[in-house]
Amino acid sequence: MIDVTSLSRQFGDHLAVDDVSFSVRPGRMTGFVGANGAGKTTTMRMIMGVLAPSGGEVLWNGEPITADTRRTFGYMPEERGLYPRMKIREQLVYFARLHGFNRTDATARADDLLEHFGIIDRADDLLDDLSLGNQQRIQIAAALIHQPSALVLDEPFSGLDPLAVDAMVDLLRREAKDLPLLFSSHQLDLVERLCDDLVILSGGKLVAYGAVDELRGQGADRYRVVMDGSDAAWLRDLRGITVRDVDGSTALVDLDGISPTELTRAAVERGPIVEISRARQPLSEIFREVIR
Amino acid sequence: MSTTTPVRGAWRLVAEREITTRVREKSFLIGVAVTVVIVAGAVVAASLLSGRASTEQIGVVGPEASAIVQTADGGAIAENDNTSFEPTEYNSVGEAERAVETEKVDAALVPDDDGGYRIIGLTSVDSVTEQAITAAVSQTVLQNNASAQDIDLEELSAGTTTTTSVLEPAPENDGARTAIATVMVVLFLLTVMIFGLQIAQSVTSEKESRVVEILAAAVPIRALLWGKIAGNTVLALSQVLLVVVAGVGAGIAMGETAFIGDVGWSLVWFLVLFLLGFIAMATLWAVAGSLAARVQDINSTTLPIQGLLFLPYFAVFAGNDSITEVFSMLPISATMVMPMRLATETVPVWQLGVAIGGTIVAAILLVKLGVRIYERSLLRTGNKLGYREALSLSAD
Repeated sequence: MIDVTSLSRQFGDHLAVDDVSFSVRPGRMTGFVGANGAGKTTTMRMIMGVLAPSGGEVLWNGEPITADTRRTFGYMPEERGLYPRMKIREQLVYFARLHGFNRTDATARADDLLEHFGIIDRADDLLDDLSLGNQQRIQIAAALIHQPSALVLDEPFSGLDPLAVDAMVDLLRREAKDLPLLFSSHQLDLVERLCDDLVILSGGKLVAYGAVDELRGQGADRYRVVMDGSDAAWLRDLRGITVRDVDGSTALVDLDGISPTELTRAAVERGPIVEISRARQPLSEIFREVIR
Repeated sequence: MSTTTPVRGAWRLVAEREITTRVREKSFLIGVAVTVVIVAGAVVAASLLSGRASTEQIGVVGPEASAIVQTADGGAIAENDNTSFEPTEYNSVGEAERAVETEKVDAALVPDDDGGYRIIGLTSVDSVTEQAITAAVSQTVLQNNASAQDIDLEELSAGTTTTTSVLEPAPENDGARTAIATVMVVLFLLTVMIFGLQIAQSVTSEKESRVVEILAAAVPIRALLWGKIAGNTVLALSQVLLVVVAGVGAGIAMGETAFIGDVGWSLVWFLVLFLLGFIAMATLWAVAGSLAARVQDINSTTLPIQGLLFLPYFAVFAGNDSITEVFSMLPISATMVMPMRLATETVPVWQLGVAIGGTIVAAILLVKLGVRIYERSLLRTGNKLGYREALSLSAD
């Protein structure tokens, strides 16, 4: 488990990361979101040790993290970087060997990852000759090549088409099932789909942290009501609810004193209904609320 | 889950990558081949042009003529010109003439009708042969005549000798020594420039392609620096060694073994000093690379190093002997100037000691300083850094 405790980083007069604490638990995907300049990349670089914190520290299984431990992590930096004029298999083997693999194991591992991405036939191509999507795959392969003990991925899905995202998610689920995995992303729908835990930064400060389900639970008890043809505006007169939105026969309401059963009964009395369902608060909404 | 262990020998992997990447480049291999061919060719050409040992076959008629040719062979003219004379006896003047005609001999020495001797050549007679044999004839005949008249020739010629002496004799093969010294200086400059820029470029392109952040997360930054220095030192030294071997080999093939024996030690010291000087400079080149943000910046960040390299070069070629002596002992510039002096003059041992000791100390200090700056500047992407700025950076 990675514990970030009171981490801060100052650049001149600017406090880029301000007293941020959270944990990245093993076996759970932790999403790291925030607007541009919120301090995500700075925090990740401090976790990886390529940037020194101005305050606070990073713990690994309760102990202050060492350089040797960090070297077992897999890292995908925000600014992508590999050797453009080097063959991709050779490149992956090089990174694996830098992490202590012998050449045979490194080659087997590289081929396994290339196979997974379906680009094994390009193994002897230069990185430069690959499409951007494939280059991104090599980048993630470089982060996974040494069978890391934890993963820190900065925007791993940016620039990928939906199929490539799925392939990468499959790979992460396979490779990082039991690992602490922290990834940042702007694609909230993706974070919502994948993440177990969520860390939200705003202006360098931690504004929300916890399991995604809990964070959603903090929102109101929201239901969606869809009448069969008739107007849903009658809900405005029902006591014990707050109407968020009415659009023709569809309405979004927060229960404010009555139970779901009572809402259903009132609706059935009113006329035929198509649907009454709990409306999960979308992540984007939580996000907008907490960074406001 | 993790099977990785901290890597102690990471610098070796970095060095290996530097080497394998480089030796696969066609331009590199062509460059090495061209240098080797140029140096070997220059040695062959120089050997052909300089007065190499030659033997003149002289046809003779009669035992006296044979003795005269032997006297000429031992004479001062033959020795100065590195020429030897070998008599081949013939029974008659006609036979000797035919031997000249068929080029079995280079010239012939035959008794002349007037009691003297005649030198026969085909189209002309080599001037050295003519001088040497004329002198030998006059010496031999004079001696014979003196004996016949019971005159002591030594007494007669007493006090007629003139000898010359110079206060500062030039070493033998002065021209060739200067040529070797120049080749060593140029070889040093070229190799350090080419490989130095290569180191800087390799560092900067890792910075520019951002791969450095992954590398820094995987291995200690100083291991990256060590690997680059080690890899490029191996490459540069191999290339210089190859060139020296090619030059020496060409020299041996041309029969210049004695001369090579003379300058051999200066070549050995050249390689030793080259190694030390290159390591010291390599760190500087790597630092210059780490200060640049893009490959285009390398020109300006490496400028101080190029100055450091060319200052002694110009000082030595423009200055006098004492300037040369000073630069031959200063660290780093010693790498270039000292082998040059060793090739052309006798250098006191203590001066060689100062040169080597100073360069070792400089290498250690520069590597330490270099690691310091390198660790601070390598992850500063975005802007080109100045040397002063880099030194004042806090450790990140």
